Amino acid sequence: MKKSEKNWFYTLLLYANSCKGKMAVSVFCAVLSVVGGFVPYYSVYQILRFLIAQEMEWEKVVLWGMVGAIGYFMQILFYGISAVLSHISAYVILEEIRLKIAGQLMKAPLGEVMNRRIGYLKNIIVDKVEEVESPLAHMIPELSSNLLLPVVIFVWMALIDWRMGLSILIAPAIAMIPMFFLMKNYSSQYAEYMEANNHVNNVIIEYVEGIEVVKAFNQSSSSYEKFSNAVKSFKDFTLEWFKSSWKTMNLTFSILPTTLLGVLPIGLLLYSKGSISPDNLTMCLILSLSIVSPLMRVTTFFNELKAMEFSVNSAYELMNIANLPDSGKDISLNTVGINVKNVKFSYEAAEEKNVLNGVSFTMPQGSFTALVGPSGGGKSTIARLIARFWDVSSGEIEIGGINIKNISVKQLSELISFVTQDNFLFNCSLKENIRLGNPTASDEEVYEAAKAACCDSFIQKLEHGYDTPAGEAGKQLSGGEKQRIAIARAILKNAPIVILDEATAFTDPQNEAQIQKSIMELSKGKTLLVIAHRLSTIQNADQIVVLKNGDIVDCGKQKELLQRCPLYADMWKAHTRTQNWSVGSKREVQ
Amino acid sequence: MFHTIKRIIKWSVDYKYRLYLGVVLSFFESIMTVAPIMVTAWALGKVLESYWGRSSLPENIVLLSTGAIIVFIFLRFLFSYGKAVLQESIGYEVAARQRFRLGDILKRVPLGYFAKNSVGDILAGITSELSALELQSMKMVDAVLNGYIQLLAVIVCLAFFSPAIIIIVAVGILISTAALKGISIHSERTASKTNQATEEMSSAAIEYIRGLPIVKSFGQEGVSIDNFRNACRKLKDIHIKIEKGFVPYNCVHLFALRLASIGVVLFCTWQNYNSRMDTTVFLMFVLFSFVIFRSVENINDAAHVLGIVDAAIEHLNELEQADYIDENGKDISPENYDIEFRDVSFGYNQRTVLHDISFSIPQYTTTAIVGASGSGKSTICNLIARFYDVNKGDIYFGNHDVREYKCDSLLKNISMVFQNVYLFRDTIKNNIQFGMANASDEQIIEAAKAARCHDFIMALPEGYETIVGEGGSSLSGGEKQRISIARAILKNAPVIILDEATASIDPENEYLIQEAISALTKDKTIITIAHRLATIESADQILVVDNGAIVQKGTHQQLFEQEGIYKEFIEIREKAEGWRIA
Repeated sequence: MKKSEKNWFYTLLLYANSCKGKMAVSVFCAVLSVVGGFVPYYSVYQILRFLIAQEMEWEKVVLWGMVGAIGYFMQILFYGISAVLSHISAYVILEEIRLKIAGQLMKAPLGEVMNRRIGYLKNIIVDKVEEVESPLAHMIPELSSNLLLPVVIFVWMALIDWRMGLSILIAPAIAMIPMFFLMKNYSSQYAEYMEANNHVNNVIIEYVEGIEVVKAFNQSSSSYEKFSNAVKSFKDFTLEWFKSSWKTMNLTFSILPTTLLGVLPIGLLLYSKGSISPDNLTMCLILSLSIVSPLMRVTTFFNELKAMEFSVNSAYELMNIANLPDSGKDISLNTVGINVKNVKFSYEAAEEKNVLNGVSFTMPQGSFTALVGPSGGGKSTIARLIARFWDVSSGEIEIGGINIKNISVKQLSELISFVTQDNFLFNCSLKENIRLGNPTASDEEVYEAAKAACCDSFIQKLEHGYDTPAGEAGKQLSGGEKQRIAIARAILKNAPIVILDEATAFTDPQNEAQIQKSIMELSKGKTLLVIAHRLSTIQNADQIVVLKNGDIVDCGKQKELLQRCPLYADMWKAHTRTQNWSVGSKREVQ
Repeated sequence: MFHTIKRIIKWSVDYKYRLYLGVVLSFFESIMTVAPIMVTAWALGKVLESYWGRSSLPENIVLLSTGAIIVFIFLRFLFSYGKAVLQESIGYEVAARQRFRLGDILKRVPLGYFAKNSVGDILAGITSELSALELQSMKMVDAVLNGYIQLLAVIVCLAFFSPAIIIIVAVGILISTAALKGISIHSERTASKTNQATEEMSSAAIEYIRGLPIVKSFGQEGVSIDNFRNACRKLKDIHIKIEKGFVPYNCVHLFALRLASIGVVLFCTWQNYNSRMDTTVFLMFVLFSFVIFRSVENINDAAHVLGIVDAAIEHLNELEQADYIDENGKDISPENYDIEFRDVSFGYNQRTVLHDISFSIPQYTTTAIVGASGSGKSTICNLIARFYDVNKGDIYFGNHDVREYKCDSLLKNISMVFQNVYLFRDTIKNNIQFGMANASDEQIIEAAKAARCHDFIMALPEGYETIVGEGGSSLSGGEKQRISIARAILKNAPVIILDEATASIDPENEYLIQEAISALTKDKTIITIAHRLATIESADQILVVDNGAIVQKGTHQQLFEQEGIYKEFIEIREKAEGWRIA
């Protein structure tokens, strides 16, 4: 990170690389534009030369006037071309960055991606990437051309008289002093500002999203206080920062462009000593005027550098999430039994924060395994490791005797249906949502799967049936109905391994019976791994693996566990007890 | 363009005078910016006169011009600093005030407001749009007002020396104004399109990320990446279109002004040639010609940005249009906690959800509301808390119409436990304390113990100071639920509305949650949206809701003996709760 921070400009050029041609032309046009903008200064110099020599010829004056006009025309024409080109390339590049990030998210371990908040990812893909536009479209062409002119002018003046060359540096040199004080804490203060800004935005988001709770708890005043404090402290912080920089900033910007500060006195001095002609003096004065505009442009960019750095870097970070290593090899498997061998896993590099400390068990093909245990024990982690959301820290997971790292990511995904409580539907028709399970499936097969998942009847009731867009249907479908569509998708996929991660939870109690039916349909004859909280659901499993704090406490059939595993026996007792318990019951619960 | 300026001035009306004064200082600042050019023209004039041998070079000319430039730089600094102090902070101060105001509106509007303005919309308004306003508005007002004031000054100045020149200037200005008008029309027209495309981009990005696990596990990218790709392309196309529209206008604008400045040079030369203009004045105008229109030139960006700012102000104004629900509310302490619905009808927008519902809930009893999803159960609860107002009929709380209360004085009596637990990204302690602002640490711990969360909280390395939802400290669903119950326990309100969690939680947690709930419900009036048989069976009263009407009312015993929805419902539930795989 440290390294990329330093080289953010390099990163920027890296982005620009894909539109190299257009960008180069844009920079070239920007240079032509700056050159064109210089021409009128030269014309005015020529006109003044007639004045100095006192041999004004009107035709020649008009001629030089026209040269100046042509110069301006060049300046503006090439500015236009450069701007259009650089913006086209900038937006093409933004599109590429977005697609690249999207592609990278696809290739990265799923767990890595899910660890980040959706809002955060969206913010980077949409807003942060958008901010890269300014450095791409403006800074690259304009900064390069506007920096070039002052250099040329300096050389020109130095050729007239080296002392004049130095004189033009006087104002910028003096401006360095307040600028030094301005920039001294800029980096850290900008970072603080960004943090303050993030903080206030987070508080606002929370306030708006939690408004129901805010209202219900009748705490309007004090939660509002947190909100208003955040808003106020952000304002105070920003203004404080501004106030502290106003003096040095305005001083810098007052001195820096006033190149005449050095050029006029030194020019006059040299003239009075007879070492410079009035012609050359005039030239130098005009030259020093001509770099004011480019200098001002440059300083404006200077002000925005930090903001650009932040946006460029945050997009870069996402583009560089490590890929999930993909062997790319399709392997023919004789069986799809799963073997979990001494698996350790930790979300962070730190060994002591292991979520799993060496877990082993086998799931023969076609068997039914349940994972149970207190929350935080690592049940979902095991399920996700089998689907390779992450790679294990140590140990091995094998399918059909082959380490899953050696199976191509694509083949692995074909082997496993992973069903969760998250019933996300894509913004396309319900039919296409189901067909996602198998893109080559015919409409008949889709209907077949929908029937098996008990979706057919409610989908038929919708006005446009299977062609109803999910977005529109989303409002009419209950959680349970969405869940059954997700199950239909998995049925259509017909993968030999089925993992149900709390998919049996009753998000929609009224539909529960039908969800259960559809799950039975899905899991028929499959190698089945189930994480379920209601123990009655899994009491017929071939083996129940009891997990606690990342260790397997016991493993066996329900009957065996009830006898020999106190943890399971307790859980079973708790489970049966809750079924007989009620709100507001008059008996005191122990 | 000018109507947006007017809008911004109206927006910052309380700081109007600082704004105007800032514009005045800004005008002086720009005079100080060109003053060194005048000094240069004067000095160059002296140089030429000495060169032509008309007079000798004043001895102190170096000192004089250096001194003058230093003074002007200093004055420029003073004026620009003064302008910054007066003007630059206004945007931030006004934006902060508006954030306060919007925050206040949000807590006093009915929840229906959030159906009209989506959460995303509101957030965009309070965060990014206000940020744009606070950052840009003052600069833009200054650029436009000052641009035209300076122009006026230049014209007056030119006219003083030579009235004829005004024609040249006027032609340039007219063309440039027309082009600027073009820019602002173009940008106002495209601003909404950009917003729309950005909106689409956002939802496509969210869909893509949300769908990632599914797409990956089904080994194909098709559907979701297509939407995403389209949104990216659309946004790109719109931006490029905007730029292509902006650039020609901008070029015309700039070129008209530059040509006018060449015209000024030629005209002055002509005047000087005919000895109608003094050499010093001539030099002054010629050197000045380079910057003469700079202030007007800079309006181009402003014209573009103002189009965007205008859209933001428009949107913020819309957000502020809301009716407070309790404008005429009084502080009432009800004498009892009976709740009664009389012929209540209610709907969100056009869709009627409840039809002529009547029932009463005596205080200190337990009422279970059962029914299919979408039948209107949650709506009933929301109406009791007056998150919405009824369309027809009345709701009484403690013998007073809920509309007589101030929101605060009604909600003081009600604790709500929502199905979707919302915890703030704050410490666990503060999340619990949310139930009672001035609760002591002891009270918080006591509530946590009653809600059966003390033990797991203490097991966390940071204990009560653990920030919810950060890094490794993510809590399980059951734990979050218990914290939300602790919050409700701490509030200790006489009426409790409980939306029973449907998502199943591990048995241990489930048991603890139920223990926690019974701690909450001692000697209270309880209204619960119930899913579990056990909860339903022991209620004093069961309301069966179907399609927005109450179809059955009574105790479990009474209802179970009738043929009807309730009996079917119970039978399905019994089967579902005993279900097993294989």
